[in-house]
Amino acid sequence: MTTLRGFLWLIGFLLAGEALVLLTGLPVSAGVIGMLLLTAWLALHGGGFDDIAAAARPLIAALALLIMPGVVGIFFILDELAGQLTAILVALLLGTLLSVFTTLWLMRRLVADATTDSREAPHE
Amino acid sequence: MSDLIEQLMVNPLAAVALTLAAYFTGDRLFRALRAPAWCPPLLVAALLLATALWLLGIDYADYRAGAGWMTLLLGPATVALGLPLYQQMGKIRELWRPLLLCLPIAATMAALYAVGIAWVMGAPAEILASLAPKSVTAPIAIGITERLGGSVALLMGGLLVTGVAAIGCVSLVARWLGIQDERLLGLALGINGHALGTVRAFEISPTAGAFSSLGMSLTGILTALLLPLAWRLPGLVG
Repeated sequence: MTTLRGFLWLIGFLLAGEALVLLTGLPVSAGVIGMLLLTAWLALHGGGFDDIAAAARPLIAALALLIMPGVVGIFFILDELAGQLTAILVALLLGTLLSVFTTLWLMRRLVADATTDSREAPHE
Repeated sequence: MSDLIEQLMVNPLAAVALTLAAYFTGDRLFRALRAPAWCPPLLVAALLLATALWLLGIDYADYRAGAGWMTLLLGPATVALGLPLYQQMGKIRELWRPLLLCLPIAATMAALYAVGIAWVMGAPAEILASLAPKSVTAPIAIGITERLGGSVALLMGGLLVTGVAAIGCVSLVARWLGIQDERLLGLALGINGHALGTVRAFEISPTAGAFSSLGMSLTGILTALLLPLAWRLPGLVG
């Protein structure tokens, strides 16, 4: 029963997110707003989230399964993209490599700066 | 035979059964083949599922309608990510300053690199609009692409390729730069590889998963707010 009670909490936060999106016209999905609301709510209340955890853990574990129906769609539109496929693939693959490099390089620099600021430990 | 399949597909549970079967077969195959970490079990499962649909002669639209309730659970599952986010809040707070600086830049570059490369290679505006939210988690990305006038199907494909590429690139670049910090790995996976990257991050550790959730959600929010505005800037498209 705890799982179902937790599930109700999750849906409650999702619907609250939905209401916020509808009221404010934010271009963000209800799920993400719901997630931020849940985080804020947990931060305010501290403990006592066993119900939510019981529902949240299996759902997070099933995340890959839940996006499968959408992902499969790509195999059915390959024909339409024939002429543009190279440009699309290069943009996606090279673009992702560059942006991953940017993120990691930038974060390493920023984190290293932050740690040398607080305690002057030698770095690398 | 094809009549029977058609009648069975009227029941949404048939689509669910197909998805689950492909998922578990993919997972087993993945273990048996000892596939490398850059190849997520999801890719194997998706390929199996596509093959099964093709062999059985099931229309993708029919399948998708049936599998709708799995997609419906994506909403509560996204909300559920708030829990690891809360549990790792202490670790996230330690890094708030680098995060505040890095996230907007990284989220912007994730979109800009791909659109820039596709534009240089002469892709039309519709394709640019479909590729722009490639690093954003599916429910938000669909909204963005519709707003920009792109194709949702192409976007979903772009999300798959980007997710897989991000997982591979993160392990490659991390080895190259000598980064082992789980927080950084998780963040890079979430910012660049949305839900697929986050699934991978949870395989590394709960800390990586929480940073990935954070990266994914903030990238989603920032992109959703900024991209439609940036799109109106003259000279960007045509």
